Amino acid sequence: MDEEKKIADALENYGRRVVFKEKIERVQASVDMEAMREQAQLLALEGITPVRSIGRVRQLWQTYRPTFAVAAAVAIVTTFATLFMVRYYRNSNQQQEQYSMLRRDVQAIKKSQNRILDGLSVRRKSLITVNPGQIVGSSFLLTPDGYLVTNNHIVQGADSVYVQSQSGEVFKARVVYTNRGYDLAILNIADDSTFRPGKTVPYGFDPRPSDLGERVFTLGYPRDEIVYGEGYLSSGTGYRNDSTSYQVAISVNPGNSGGPLLDEKGNVIGIISGKQVSTEGASFAIKTDYLYRAIESIPNDSLKGQPLKLSRRSTLNRLPRTQQVKRVQQNVFMVKVFKH
Amino acid sequence: MRDTIRLHWTDNDLLGGLASGSDAALTQLYNRHFPMVLHLILSNNGSEDDAKDIFQEALVVLYEHVQAGTFVLNAQLKTYLYSVSRRLWLKQLARKGRYSTLGPDDLMESDALVAVDNDLIEHERRDSQFDHMATSLGKIGEPCRTLLEDFYIRHLSMQDITEKFGYTNADNAKTQKYKCLMRLKRLFFSDYQE
Repeated sequence: MDEEKKIADALENYGRRVVFKEKIERVQASVDMEAMREQAQLLALEGITPVRSIGRVRQLWQTYRPTFAVAAAVAIVTTFATLFMVRYYRNSNQQQEQYSMLRRDVQAIKKSQNRILDGLSVRRKSLITVNPGQIVGSSFLLTPDGYLVTNNHIVQGADSVYVQSQSGEVFKARVVYTNRGYDLAILNIADDSTFRPGKTVPYGFDPRPSDLGERVFTLGYPRDEIVYGEGYLSSGTGYRNDSTSYQVAISVNPGNSGGPLLDEKGNVIGIISGKQVSTEGASFAIKTDYLYRAIESIPNDSLKGQPLKLSRRSTLNRLPRTQQVKRVQQNVFMVKVFKH
Repeated sequence: MRDTIRLHWTDNDLLGGLASGSDAALTQLYNRHFPMVLHLILSNNGSEDDAKDIFQEALVVLYEHVQAGTFVLNAQLKTYLYSVSRRLWLKQLARKGRYSTLGPDDLMESDALVAVDNDLIEHERRDSQFDHMATSLGKIGEPCRTLLEDFYIRHLSMQDITEKFGYTNADNAKTQKYKCLMRLKRLFFSDYQE
């Protein structure tokens, strides 16, 4: 029985103390109080501290050492976790969420389409060939003999690249060169036998920096049909002060990536590359100057000996916008990228 | 007493002697450390009787701690006794209301102390149990009180108790003792919560 044990213990403790106290009384009566008083007097006279000093700080330290340890550990963990979270947020979150590359990811749409088809007819499932990862972007001719430019982020990791003209002709393209830093890629369709080289491209390529407020327009393939967009140059630098691009107030959508950005006189001043998601009307275009730089760094072997020369003169000057668009749109292609 | 003075007592010897209830060890503790406590109390508004009480209580704290087997001496025994006495005296001053003019740091703060908070909390618990037991024993009445005291405190054998109280045999005495213990239990636990 628990309580019985407890009461017996309590009783014994009680008894022990009673006995001990009696003993102390006895001893106390027997000691020489006179001598004690003298010694106490002595202590008072000397004013000595009876024992060696440990010091208050040390005592506090000894008492609270475990608490200190826990607090320090928590502080360290918190600090590093915060640092890690901040880095993580900056690296992944902002770039992925803020800056959106304007390629059109068809895979997701295809998947949901297939799911609907699967639902409609289970039997026909085997007949449907699932198209592997397909990405759509825009691109335009650099030279009449079949060189095109588009964004690196469209063609990277591609197994095969096709371009489709506005009239629906499809050409197989070879990736001549990619530059990850400028996000540019040069394609060539001259190898495709059905491609007929033209005489000129109507627009010129102007490497000089354009002024803020410049009226600009673009053509691209945010849908299967070519789409015209118009706006103005709003800043001389791009996303996070990226000096290789402009900020443009123009409405662009996934699929516009790689399209030309032209000024009123018909000069290509940039290549549409992306937009900032959180901000209204902030799209970005890579400056033509960097297109020139990219072309300069193409190895000669990739060009098969023929230099890639861009026309600096626009033939669109003074034409009304509708006429400009009519002539430019024949040179803007849809890029289709297949991946496995 | 004469022959113990010749011996050299270390702190551990003293503790051992205390645990085994040696008078010599107690005398030694008095001789060595009482003047210190006396000085402390006298120089802080206390009398010699106060000093005796305080030292006695400090020894009780030490004794019960050693008995419980949980005592670890991490400073000099002198420091420990001094720290305990100081705290006990502060508490007494506070009880008397004289404490208000005296901050806890005023009491010879230059002196070294060891942390005795836990020991004193434990002591307080034992103290209240002790007081409670005394009250309970007071209420239980005779012959129960004497019987229990004889058995548990004076450690008389069942045979002695049988003779002393005039029971016919030891079994009778045992039954009586058990009944008394149960009564004490009821009294003790009726308003004591550990």
